[in-house]
Amino acid sequence: MIRVDSLSVRYDNFEALSIPFLTIEGGKFHAIIGPNGGGKTTFIKALVGLLPYEGTIEIDGMDHKRYLKKNSIGYLAQRGSQFSQFPITALEVVEMGRYRFKESADIRRKKALEFLKVLEMEKFAQKNINELSGGQQQRILMARALATESKILILDEPLTGMDPKAQSLFYDMIKRIKDSFKLTVIMSSHDVGFISEYADNVICINKELVPHDESAKILSCAEFAQLYGPKIGIVEHHHLHSEKDDV
Amino acid sequence: MFELFTLFFIQRALLIGAVIAIVSGLIGPFIIYRKMSFIGVGISHGTFSGIAFGILLGVSPLPMAIIFAVGLGIFIGFTSRTGKISEDVSIGILFSFAMALGIFLISLSSGYHADIMGYLFGDILAISNNDLYLAIGVLGSVMLWYTLRSRQMKYMTFDEDFAKIAGVPVGIDYYIFMALISLSIVVIVNFVGVILASSIIIAPAASAKSIVKKFSSIVVLSIVLAELSILSGIIFSYNLNISSGPSIVFFVTFVFILSLFYRKIKNFKVKNR
Repeated sequence: MIRVDSLSVRYDNFEALSIPFLTIEGGKFHAIIGPNGGGKTTFIKALVGLLPYEGTIEIDGMDHKRYLKKNSIGYLAQRGSQFSQFPITALEVVEMGRYRFKESADIRRKKALEFLKVLEMEKFAQKNINELSGGQQQRILMARALATESKILILDEPLTGMDPKAQSLFYDMIKRIKDSFKLTVIMSSHDVGFISEYADNVICINKELVPHDESAKILSCAEFAQLYGPKIGIVEHHHLHSEKDDV
Repeated sequence: MFELFTLFFIQRALLIGAVIAIVSGLIGPFIIYRKMSFIGVGISHGTFSGIAFGILLGVSPLPMAIIFAVGLGIFIGFTSRTGKISEDVSIGILFSFAMALGIFLISLSSGYHADIMGYLFGDILAISNNDLYLAIGVLGSVMLWYTLRSRQMKYMTFDEDFAKIAGVPVGIDYYIFMALISLSIVVIVNFVGVILASSIIIAPAASAKSIVKKFSSIVVLSIVLAELSILSGIIFSYNLNISSGPSIVFFVTFVFILSLFYRKIKNFKVKNR
C-alpha cells in the first residue's frame, strides 16, 4: 500500500501539485486521470523518486526515500520522452532493470531474456532499441520495468499515439502482467473511456486531488467539470472487446 | 621518412599521441551521445587560466592547469545538473572568462613569455617527462573507469531517469566523468594547445559514429581514427616543418569529412536498394 500525506511538489516557487491525503491500495489497477498540466506526471515522478517533494510518502509502511534506496520501482516513462539515441540492444535495456541485483553477468542476461520472453520480444534481444518500432520499444521498456521485480508498476501515459485497437491490446497486456506478477499498477491516461473499463480505482488530479469515489467506475458531470472544465460533456458508451480483438 | 621515428621527441610525442587516441576513444563517444560536445572547448580554455596562474606564481603550470580544468569541469557539471543554468550557457560564459583571466594573469607576470604560443597551439618539442607521466596516469584512470563504470555510463547515457530509479549513483558517476574529461583535456592541451584541444576528443568519436552502429565498434574505431590522425599529423608536420597541433587537427577534421561522405553514400545505397 502507498500512503501519501500532505504532499506538495514545487517547481521553484510555483506549486505544481498538492495532495492532502491519499492511499493507494496494493494489488489493484489504479488510474490517474486529469487534464494536461494537471500534475499527473509530477505525481508519478515524485512517486518514483525523480522529483523532490514536501510531505510524506510511505510504501508498505516504509519511508519512501528509505524504500527507494533499497528497491526500484517498475517505471515506464511517457512515450517519446524515454531515452536517447544511444546504441544499446534490447537485452541491455532490460538488463538495466537488474542493476540492484547482485548477480553475475550471465545470470543477469538470462533473467533479462526471461522478461523479454514474457513480453514476447526475445527475438529482438540483440537489436538496437532505436531501430525498433514504437510499439516494440514500449514492450521492451515494459520488460525492463518488470525486470526490477518490483511489486509496483507505474506507467505514465503509455497510450499516447496508439490507435484504439493498440490501446485495447495494451490494456489486456497490463491486466495479464498485473495478475501473473501480482502487481499494484498505477497508470496515468488521457483516455477516460478506456481506463474506466479496466481500472479498479480512479484517482482524479488537477493540480490537487479532485474528490471522487475512487472505486466508482464512472465520473459524475461535476467531477468531470472540475477536471476538464465545464465545456466538456459526458457521452456514456461501451467498448466492444474480446481478449483477441477490440473495436 | 622513417628517420623521424628515431628522434627522441618524436617517440615521446607518438607515445602521448597513442595515449590521447585511447583516452579520446573511450570518453569521446559518451560525450557525443550525451550531447556535451562543447564541453571540450570550455575546459581547454579553463586550463589556460591555470597555466597563466602557474606562470604568474613562477611554479610549474601543469598542476595549476589540472586544478583549473577539473574545477571548471565540475563547476560546469554542477550548474547544469542543478538546472540553474544550462550547460551550453555556462560553458559559453565561462570559457571566455577563463581566457580573459589567463591573459590578465599573464599581463601581471613580469617578462616576455615566448611559450604562450606553445600553450595556445601546442608544441610537441615542449612535451616534458612530467607531461608524459600525467598522460600515462590519465590513461590508467580512464581505462580503470571504463572497466568498472562503463556499464553504468551506458545506462545513464541511454536513460538517466531510469538509471537513477534502477539504483545507479548517477550524480557520482557524472562528476567522475566530468573530472576524467577535464584530466584528458589537460593532456590534450599539452599536445595540441588550448585552442585546438576539443576537436581531438570529439571528432574521432563523431567520425566513428557515422561509420559503425554498435557502441563497442564506435569505441574501437574512435581509437583507431584518432591514432591514425595523430600519426599522420605528426609525420605531415615534420615533413613540412609546420606546427604539429594544427596539422593533427587538419587530419582529424579530414577523417570526419570522409566519414560524412561515407554515411551519405551508404544512405544513398540503402534508399536505392
